[in-house]
Amino acid sequence: MFGQLIVSGLAVGACYALLALAMVIIYKTSEVLNFAQGEMAMISTFIAFTLLDTYHVPFPYAFAITFLFAILLAVFFEMVFLRQAKDPTVLGLIIITLGFEMMLMGFVGWKWGPDQRSLPFPVSNIETYNFSGMIISKINFWTIIVSLILMFILFLFFRYTKMGIAMRATQQNQLAARVMGIRTKRIFSFTWALSSMVGTVAGMLIAALGVLDPPMMMDPLLKGFASGVLGGMTSLPGAALGGALLGIIENLFGGYVSLSFKSVVAFAIIVLMLCIKPSGLLAKHYVKKV
Amino acid sequence: MVKKNLFGVGLLAFIFFISAPASAAVRGVTDTEILIGQWGPQTGPAAPWGAVARGTDLLVKMINDEGGIHGRKIKYYLRDDSYMPAKTKAIAKEFVEQIGVFAVVGGVGVATGMTARDYLMENKVPWCGPVTGVYEWITPIQKYLFAIYPLYDDEAFNLTGYLYEKLGYKKIAMFYQNDDYGKQGVMGVERYLLKHKIKLVEKVSAEVTDRDLSTHALKLKNSGAEAVIMWTMPTHAALILAETAKIGFKPQWATSNTLSDSALMMGITKGLWAGMINSFFGELPDSNHPLMVKYREAHKKYAPQERWGVFYYAGIIFAEPFFEGLRRAGRNLTPETWISAMETLKNWQGIGPPITYGPPKTPMDRQGGKHVFYGKVRPDGTIERLTDWIQITK
Amino acid sequence: MDIKRNYYEDIELFKSNTILVWSILFLLFLAVLPWLIVKYHLLGLSIYIVNLITVHAIVAVGLNILVGFTGQISMGHAGFFALGAFSTVILVLNWSMPLFIALPIAGFVSSAFGFILGLPALRLKGPYLAIATLGFGMTITTVIKHMEFFGGRMGLQAPKLELFGTLMKDVHFYYMIMIIAVVMVIGAVKLMKTRVGRAFIAIRDSDIAAEAMGVNLTYYKTLAFAVSAFYTGIAGGLYAFILGFINPESFHLIMSITFLAMVVVGGLGSIMGPICGAALMTFLDIKLQAIQDISLIGPALVAFSQKYMSLAGISNIAVIVYGLIMILIVLFEPLGIFGFWIRTKRYWKTWPF
Repeated sequence: MFGQLIVSGLAVGACYALLALAMVIIYKTSEVLNFAQGEMAMISTFIAFTLLDTYHVPFPYAFAITFLFAILLAVFFEMVFLRQAKDPTVLGLIIITLGFEMMLMGFVGWKWGPDQRSLPFPVSNIETYNFSGMIISKINFWTIIVSLILMFILFLFFRYTKMGIAMRATQQNQLAARVMGIRTKRIFSFTWALSSMVGTVAGMLIAALGVLDPPMMMDPLLKGFASGVLGGMTSLPGAALGGALLGIIENLFGGYVSLSFKSVVAFAIIVLMLCIKPSGLLAKHYVKKV
Repeated sequence: MVKKNLFGVGLLAFIFFISAPASAAVRGVTDTEILIGQWGPQTGPAAPWGAVARGTDLLVKMINDEGGIHGRKIKYYLRDDSYMPAKTKAIAKEFVEQIGVFAVVGGVGVATGMTARDYLMENKVPWCGPVTGVYEWITPIQKYLFAIYPLYDDEAFNLTGYLYEKLGYKKIAMFYQNDDYGKQGVMGVERYLLKHKIKLVEKVSAEVTDRDLSTHALKLKNSGAEAVIMWTMPTHAALILAETAKIGFKPQWATSNTLSDSALMMGITKGLWAGMINSFFGELPDSNHPLMVKYREAHKKYAPQERWGVFYYAGIIFAEPFFEGLRRAGRNLTPETWISAMETLKNWQGIGPPITYGPPKTPMDRQGGKHVFYGKVRPDGTIERLTDWIQITK
Repeated sequence: MDIKRNYYEDIELFKSNTILVWSILFLLFLAVLPWLIVKYHLLGLSIYIVNLITVHAIVAVGLNILVGFTGQISMGHAGFFALGAFSTVILVLNWSMPLFIALPIAGFVSSAFGFILGLPALRLKGPYLAIATLGFGMTITTVIKHMEFFGGRMGLQAPKLELFGTLMKDVHFYYMIMIIAVVMVIGAVKLMKTRVGRAFIAIRDSDIAAEAMGVNLTYYKTLAFAVSAFYTGIAGGLYAFILGFINPESFHLIMSITFLAMVVVGGLGSIMGPICGAALMTFLDIKLQAIQDISLIGPALVAFSQKYMSLAGISNIAVIVYGLIMILIVLFEPLGIFGFWIRTKRYWKTWPF
């Protein structure tokens, strides 16, 4: 049972990690806590659903179109709403993302109605791989692989590409970055697009794992936040590690201590983590001076 | 001091003055119209249940097209409460104080309906068929409240009996959702098992917001149960079936009538729903029952955009008896004549369970639906009817 | 006159006679409001909705002490609201206390938890604090759900209150709640003018600078949480009685978000702002749901939905509008309704220049 709990925990953790990655990308650059992340992924997944289910578009094309939509949506939000905020406070930004979240939620409810659906996905969520007694479903296995690959790509991207370095520079000091010739506004749009893409992958995987309906991202989003905080909101490997750890801890707690309190473990961990090491496991702590 | 007292008395007098009721004619009944209302979650996480309130709309349209009841057309107000109790109560007040409805029909939710129950009863507003099967509607007995939905508790009790006695499953586990609904299910199941001096081999609950049920599935598997009763909402049902199938745990599943929308369930479980033993509170969607045929035609005519699902026509099931009461009450319609008419219903049946009411002596005199029937889901999503209507509540 | 010549003028409750007169007029208006509503159906309001608005206003004022004046974020106030509601009902129901004793006790229970939440908040800032408080709020409701003592998942029915032998109606609740609300609002105004309030504001503007000036951060930050939770707890207790039935499921994250939205839309760092915010958001929340019944827009929306969207989801327009208002207010009027008021006032003062 112990082994199986760990494996299932890792599988769930991979989804959390993907969402945490998406959030960290944004937070790293613009210090915005994106509460609309889940719903942005959800609406993209609904687009994918319409393409696959109603118009029978082959999966790779549907996937590409969905990605394009995710990018446009994120850039739209960044340019039309977020960029217009003059001198925004942390709270103001949170409220803007929350407002956008509600709008998306409302839109999806309006367009597609409230019924639960099933997303046609090429990888089965029932067929399994068996690793010496540990059972893992195909989709869980591929979720883990995909999140590892994505994390690696993102890590390389932030480390070695010009764009990635510009993004990090923007995060450290926006003004200085602009002085150095970085188009910070464009960087922000790009960040949002990147994050939205990662989020969409997470959204499609989560929908394929279970059910596609408007509230499907509420719980994963909160867990994604928890993972981000656990691993460090400014660290990509941290987010992945946080997700995996959270998944495992949750499952062990559910398996051995109490199932009914499983859903609050994440928050207990956050509060504990924040008290002990506010910057998270893998991020450096720095205090802003007066 | 005197001045202060005077002020207090004045204020009180003022308060009583403005709170004095003032109405003479029957609320919500005119020569040409009867006003009724229903709330239902059209937005938010509980929105799939909102179909119930839209289903009632279909029935109202049909009745109006046939010329109404005793020369009066029905005017139907549908309000969205997003499953938030504060809004439900606001809607109830709007119905009574501003629109002035004759009665409330249906209404999804316990937490939501409970905020409105006492208010409606105090204002003598008839309420027919709240869409949940809990004791709160009939205990204490309410003169103006007629419950229809078969009680979850009795349903679970009976379903366990069916599994235990008829099908011979001795090791039974339970998977339920951690709220009022799920808890009623557990109550019934445990009540039955206690009678036979056995226990559930495992009792696993999930929070309403949970989206990861792998641990839950593992617990169920380790219990070695032969049959698992589930008392959840569609999303959790789909998740737990996928998780248990993954780890190779295939017990006999059984579930309540809230999950009786097999077309939906087959879709979201990708076929895992097959084999499910399900209880039903209404005729099957493809039934040849003459009323069902008629309703299906009306559905095509008035609301082709709606899916003909169980939740949708549940709105008809929980409103039919109300309109039958109106018919029997005759032209002279007041809450009192309607109640007397409702109390004459004896084994009256539309597409739901047979309905019987009586003068309110015991709570069961206000519990109309006392029957369910069982069915087994075939691999193609249709249902093999296992039993006829079975009485579950004495 | 806006010029203050000494300290005592600054801490006075009413800055000028004009404000005093307006305040008295406003109180008079509140006193006759139920009558106006019953007689003229102002804006389609019912007394119940006004009661709900008043309760939300108490929460908003309390939350604003924390968010607007002390500069901390809380996304967990639904938790305090639930604590207040459940403790009040249990005290009245199980220990048969009168409401006016149970209510303050519930307030203190809630503020004790506020104090506890204040402790980790000492080290946290901005987004991190948002997540921690969010988790705290969800934990409280989950714990309540699992304790049979709190009625478990079934929820609790609030006992009926009696006034001189008759059951209390909405109007009676109205006066009870309104008196409590007025006292609490005046309390908040006063508090902000004392040493404590100034310490809060100093912490908001810069906690390091405040500490350097001798403000005890540990004490004042936890105090801000406790005071804010106290207000919310009292409001929760009142909420339980105007609703008549409480269930832990209904104190969810969306409720915390709504509270926060009320404060931000109303105006951070003012007292009247959040009250207006609570009024506007509650009103919209309840009235927008019947959007398809509005005379001109309604049929157009129905037709549009039928053609391009789904008719079943038409009520979701309300959610979209609600979200849009939140965004627009932050974008164009960061000080909320209060900021709009200040701008209008200034415009008239200097008119025609």
